[in-house]
Amino acid sequence: MSQQIIDIREAIRQAIDEEMARDDRVFVIGEEVGEYQGAYKVTKGLLQKWGPQRIIDTPISEAGFTGLAVGAAMTGLRPIVEYMSFNFSFVAADQLISHATKMHYMSGNRFSVPVVFRGPNGAAAQVSSQHSHCVEAIYGNLPGWIIVAPSNAYDAKGLLKSAIRNNNPVLFLESELIYGDKMEIPTEEYLVPLGQARVVVPGTDVTLMSHSRMVKVCHQAVVELAKQGIKVELIDLRTIKPLDIATVATSVKKTNYCVLVEEGHQFAGVASEVGFQIAEHCFDYLDAPIRRVCQRETPMPYSMVLEKETMPNVERIIAQIKEVLCR
Amino acid sequence: MSSSKEIDHHFYPSDSKAIIAKLGKVNLVEILRRMFLIRNFEIRSESAYQQGKIGGFFHSYIGQEAIQTAACQALGPNNWYITSYRCHALALLLGATPNELMAELYGRATGNSKGRGGSMHFFTERLLGGFGIVAGQVPIATGAAFSIKYKGKKDEVAICFLGEGAVAQGVFHESLNLASLWSLPCIYVVENNHWGMGTAVERAIAADRIAEDFAHGYKMKAYTLDGMDFFNCYGGFQHIREEMLKTGRPVLVEAITQRFKGHSISDPGLYRTKEELSAVTKCDPIAKFELTLINNKILTESDARQIDKECREIVIAAMQYAEESPWPDPITLEEDVFAP
Repeated sequence: MSQQIIDIREAIRQAIDEEMARDDRVFVIGEEVGEYQGAYKVTKGLLQKWGPQRIIDTPISEAGFTGLAVGAAMTGLRPIVEYMSFNFSFVAADQLISHATKMHYMSGNRFSVPVVFRGPNGAAAQVSSQHSHCVEAIYGNLPGWIIVAPSNAYDAKGLLKSAIRNNNPVLFLESELIYGDKMEIPTEEYLVPLGQARVVVPGTDVTLMSHSRMVKVCHQAVVELAKQGIKVELIDLRTIKPLDIATVATSVKKTNYCVLVEEGHQFAGVASEVGFQIAEHCFDYLDAPIRRVCQRETPMPYSMVLEKETMPNVERIIAQIKEVLCR
Repeated sequence: MSSSKEIDHHFYPSDSKAIIAKLGKVNLVEILRRMFLIRNFEIRSESAYQQGKIGGFFHSYIGQEAIQTAACQALGPNNWYITSYRCHALALLLGATPNELMAELYGRATGNSKGRGGSMHFFTERLLGGFGIVAGQVPIATGAAFSIKYKGKKDEVAICFLGEGAVAQGVFHESLNLASLWSLPCIYVVENNHWGMGTAVERAIAADRIAEDFAHGYKMKAYTLDGMDFFNCYGGFQHIREEMLKTGRPVLVEAITQRFKGHSISDPGLYRTKEELSAVTKCDPIAKFELTLINNKILTESDARQIDKECREIVIAAMQYAEESPWPDPITLEEDVFAP
C-alpha cells in the first residue's frame, strides 16, 4: 500500500474532496471557505475544483447558515458546515440544539439531519476568553449528537469520511494547534469507524485517557514516565459520543489506575462523564480514586503565563499519575 | 393595548369572481370542507384537552384557516412546507389524517410522530415540521429552498409560515438576507395575528407593514394579503407562485389575520377586551367563504351545515381512534435518537 506524509489540515481536505467526488449531495458551507481558501486553509483549492455551487461562502451569519444546512439535510443534501471557530457555533445554538439533534426522534423518524459541523475547537495561541472554548461537554449533554475529536492525520481523514457518510448530525472537532502535525498515512481510501477508541501506547501500570490535541500532550507525559519505569497505557477516545466504554473499561480493569485528561473545563466535563462510567463499570477493579487534569475553572486568559497555568500540561499530567500511583 | 391602529397596507388586488370561475364547484366545496375539518379538529381537540386527554402546549389555528388553506390550494402539495408550533391545520392540509394527528395529541403509538412530538411537532412527507422555537423554522425553510435550487428543480418552492412575533428574531432577518443573496425560492408568509402571546405587534415590531417595509431592504418583493379572505389569499399565492417559477426569487408575504383563541390553551387572553374579541370573531374566514359560496349558488346553507357535521363526525371518530390506540411501548423509548 502506498503512503503519503501529510498534516491534519491536508487529511481533512482530502476527506472532504474524496467524499465530494463520491456523492454530489455533499457540499461545504461556511465563512471564508471559498475565495479566501479557508480561514485555516483547510478548504484550500476546493473552490477551484468544485466551484461556487458546492463550496459556498456565507456572510457572517452562523445561525442563518446553520439552520439552512439543517433544512438542506432534511430535504436530501449532505452539508459540511465549517465554523471558523467552534466558539461561533454558540451564535447558532438554537439551530444545533433544538433542531439538528432532535429532528429524527421528534419527527417519528421522518426526517434525518446528515450534517457534519466541523472546525477548530478549544484553545489556539493566546486568543483569550471568547475564542478558546471546548464545546464537547456543552453539546455532549444532548442526545442526538455524534461527537468526534481526532488527534492525528490518519484518524482525522478516516473519521471525517465516516462522519460525512453518517445520517446524523456530527460535531467534528479539530484543533488549530495541531493542523500542521504530520503523519504517514495511506494514499488509498480508507475509513475509520465512528465510536471506537484506540490504544495509542499499551502499558500496564495506569490508564491515561484523552482526546484531540491533549493526546499529544499526554503522549509526552507517557514518554517521560517510561524513562522513570512507569508503563502508562494511553487511550485516544477519538469519538466522544457514542463513547467506547468497552475499550476504556478493558484498560482500566487491566491497570487498576486511571487518569483522565481534558482540554475543556472540569465541571461537568467529558472527564466527569467518562470517570463516572468507569466507576459504574470498574469500581471493583480500581486501586485508587480516578484523577483528572482539565482546564481550570477560569475563562481563558490572554497572557501566555496565565494561559499555560489554566491548561492541562505535561507537568500536571505527570503529577497526577504519580499521585494516583503513590510514586 | 389596542391593536386596531390603522396602517396603510397595499393589499394584493384579487378577483373573487375570476377565482370562483377558475376553481369551480367541486374545488370550492372541497376547500370549504378542508376549512371545516380544521375548525372542527381544533374545537374538538381543545375540548379533549380540557378533559385531560391531551397535555403539553396547544396552539389553536382558529381564525387563521383561510391562509394556509389558500396557500396549499394555490401552490400544490409538491413543495416543502414548514411552520411554527401552530401546526395542526397545515398537517391536515398536507394529507395527515385526523386519526394520526389526534392520536399524536393523545400521545399514542399510532400518532403522527409516534407520540414523541405532540401538538407542536406534526410532520408529513412534505411538511418539515411544526417548530417549537419562535422563528426556528425560518432558516430551515431557507435550507429547503436551497435544496430545491441545488438540485435544479424548477417547479418547486419552499413555503415558510411564521407568526409576526417571529419577525423580531435574528434568524428571520438572516434568512431573508441569505435567500435574497442566493436567490432561493422561498415564500416567507408572516401570519400577522397581531399578538405575540400577549404582546401587541406595535409593541414588538418597529415597522408598520411587515412585508412591505422589510422586504425592500432585502431586495425582495412584498405582498400583503387579507388573511381573513380565502379569495384574496388564493389570488395572492397563485400570483406569487407563477412569479417565482419565472424569477426564482424569494418573496415576503404578510397575511393579516386574527386568532380567535388565546396564544395557547392556557392563555385567558386578558390583554384583549370582550368587545375587541367579539369584533375580531365577527369576521370569521370560514363563514365569509361559506357565504360567498351560498351567494354564488355553489351550495346551500344546509349543504354547508351538512359538510360541517360530516367534519365534526370525522374528528369525533378520530378522538375515538386516539382513545383506543395503544400507548407507546416504553421499550421503544430509546429507539430512533439516531437515524440508521
